[in-house]
Amino acid sequence: MAFNYDKYLRVDKMPTLWCWGCGDGVILKSVIRAIDTMGWDMNDVCIVSGIGCSGRFSSYIDCNTVHTTHGRAIAYATGIKLANPEKHVIVVTGDGDGLAIGGNHTIHGCRRNIDLNHILINNFIYGLTNSQTSPTTPQGFWTATANYGNVDPSFDAAKLADAAGATFVARESVLDPQKLEKVLVAGFSHKGYSFFDIFSNCHINLGRKNKMGEAVQNLAWIDSRILGKKKFDLLPPEEQEGKFPIGILKQETDKLEYCEAYDKVIFAAQNKTTVKL
Amino acid sequence: MSLVTAPSNTPVWVNVSRCKACDICVSMCPAGVLGMIPAPNSTLGSMIEVVVPEACIGCKDCELHCPDFAIFVADRTEFKFAKLSDGAKERSQAVKQNKFRKLGA
Repeated sequence: MAFNYDKYLRVDKMPTLWCWGCGDGVILKSVIRAIDTMGWDMNDVCIVSGIGCSGRFSSYIDCNTVHTTHGRAIAYATGIKLANPEKHVIVVTGDGDGLAIGGNHTIHGCRRNIDLNHILINNFIYGLTNSQTSPTTPQGFWTATANYGNVDPSFDAAKLADAAGATFVARESVLDPQKLEKVLVAGFSHKGYSFFDIFSNCHINLGRKNKMGEAVQNLAWIDSRILGKKKFDLLPPEEQEGKFPIGILKQETDKLEYCEAYDKVIFAAQNKTTVKL
Repeated sequence: MSLVTAPSNTPVWVNVSRCKACDICVSMCPAGVLGMIPAPNSTLGSMIEVVVPEACIGCKDCELHCPDFAIFVADRTEFKFAKLSDGAKERSQAVKQNKFRKLGA
């Protein structure tokens, strides 16, 4: 008996619409295993996804799901969480969805420290719409909107979330699904905004024009860009250029969670006083 | 319908209706158990095959890395897996150099 993923899937939607070898499937499996480890009832879980290949995430998992407008997944999820503070809300966005068009929602979600689990699937390109430059595309890469090489400096999503005030920030990749599952479990258990920057492969729309057209080649490229946090910290600054530390990068528990803060507003309104934080 | 339960005394098995032939499981296998075979009806013209099931060491790397819920590995309590031998390591390297194709196919 292997692990029964079908218990958590909408089996009639299988096989997935993602390309062969797409990292989104590995992340979906890791999220399912993490939910299984947490022992959550699927009636208490809500998956909110935006637009893009990552937006398909909510179609395959059998729980409460919302497929929202482009970049606004965090806004919808904030509403869902505030109305149902005891439920578990997981937001899935891509790098274009969560950092470009939805960048404002991401930073304000982090700032409020609302108890959402934000999984940002980072494949360095707008994959669904065929290779436009995304905020994380490395410099020098061919994209449909930068035929002579991308000149835009790229975002470090984990640093952005950290600076914006998220209390749990982690980075992982699809190369180690077991570690990914452990990090997801740690983030799901955390009360407050949990931000996961997960490196994934898009060998079709990023790889084909950038000399890594097979899934295996694209995964090897991701492997060359990541390094465990401890090893990364020991490197001299000039060698840290172009590398990303993986693991749990930040975990704080002393900041007030937004739903608890909002309870104080409700209490103040009922008792005609003002909020005391 | 997937095949979560092993077909009986099998270490690793595949749901071919879900496999998209991305080669990832073959690239991850340390024991050279898996290989791609030509399949004219598949989208990419190839399909996964469990070539040497008796060499499977039960590491589950193929199952964990499969994005399409297509490959399954038995639980350690249900099947006695082999140990990783030098021959298996060499076969694994040979399959990878053979562009993930089954050797001799």
